[in-house]
Amino acid sequence: MSGEPRDRVLAATVECAGRVGLSYITVDEVARASGLSRATVYRWFPGGRDQLVDEAVTWEVGRFLNDLATAVAGAPDLATRLTLALHLGHRAIDDHEVLQSLLRTEPGLLLGHLQATIPLAAAVVRDELAALLASEPVREGVDVQEAAEYLSRLFLSLIADPGRWDLDDLAATGRLVRERLLAGILVSSPPGV
Amino acid sequence: MGDPTETAAQAELQAELPVESPATVLEWRIVAAALVCVGRWGVTKTTLEDVAREAGCSRATIYRVFSGGKAAVLQAALRSETRRLRAELAASAGAADTLEDALVAGTVTVTRFLEGSEALNYLLAHEPDVVLPHVAFGRLDWVFALAARYAEPYLTPFLPLEEVGAAAEWITRVVLSFALNPSPAIHLADEDRARAFARTYLVPALGVPSLGDPAVVDPAPLSQGSARTNRS
Repeated sequence: MSGEPRDRVLAATVECAGRVGLSYITVDEVARASGLSRATVYRWFPGGRDQLVDEAVTWEVGRFLNDLATAVAGAPDLATRLTLALHLGHRAIDDHEVLQSLLRTEPGLLLGHLQATIPLAAAVVRDELAALLASEPVREGVDVQEAAEYLSRLFLSLIADPGRWDLDDLAATGRLVRERLLAGILVSSPPGV
Repeated sequence: MGDPTETAAQAELQAELPVESPATVLEWRIVAAALVCVGRWGVTKTTLEDVAREAGCSRATIYRVFSGGKAAVLQAALRSETRRLRAELAASAGAADTLEDALVAGTVTVTRFLEGSEALNYLLAHEPDVVLPHVAFGRLDWVFALAARYAEPYLTPFLPLEEVGAAAEWITRVVLSFALNPSPAIHLADEDRARAFARTYLVPALGVPSLGDPAVVDPAPLSQGSARTNRS
């Protein structure tokens, strides 16, 4: 593994979590997996195991959202961007091996940690959406900050559990975004993805 | 599905339950006591002795009423809470004259219900592992199904049948998101706030038949639709 020591340790923690589970992670194991000494791990994470797990969950959520934002950065408008982000985000959650493995083995423990990072994740998505809404034709009377908060919550809810919506189908996801998510927010929704 | 978090309580909630439950006074007292105990000590630490003391009866009496012991009492408590929610929905959403009214009644009633549940609040704060696995990542089907059943009578006057489930699911997502991660800016237990929220976001998302050419449908009859580019 390469990169800054801190990132290396956190990436190794995520990898170990997938292998041995959250309960059985040890500083030794993380040190070995990151190719750093135990002392170096403790220098960055004096709280040891518990701090490692806490911060690794937040770090991985941040990495996930960042990767997603990068993947959709080329989209020409908000509707297209949201459509792609729902499509790719849901797929990335389904394909996230560490997440899926922990949801099977230690759902309570994992979700307790995730729950603590949700306000931060929701705020990151909200701010990103608010910035994008600023250059969109927003309906009279719609507050951009509030609309961004609403969208961020629905977005996270949908990628975590699509329910009745088929997010694998890009055209259907495009309709979901234009006809429902953005229906009250933007003046007009250009048809088609 | 062999899902370890798929509990008997969920299965039971999914089964059609009579709205009027023939609960005896004693049953009711035990269930109410269990809810008080969970609100005070959580699910793991609550014992049948605690419940018996709170209900003013003996442990043996509880076993006579609930032969399944603690698990059965907790299940009955969950069932009784969903019945209470259903009754409160009937009282508020039953009077709705428009889709907007129904959506406001639904969001306000469920939000207030969740905020007012001491048992749920204790669990979210101290034993999140008891609650969260039932409402996260692909595990929401049972919640959506329950929501659709509860919302159906109040949405069918205003929506085509095939839209009712979608609307119930949408409101559930919104209410759950704000319940699990409260917002300093948007408080849906406040009726005026919830009405503005429903008018701006929910009615346009849920009130239009999504079939047909989206370009010719103006989904927000409430707003006069004048364009403006926002700078903030």
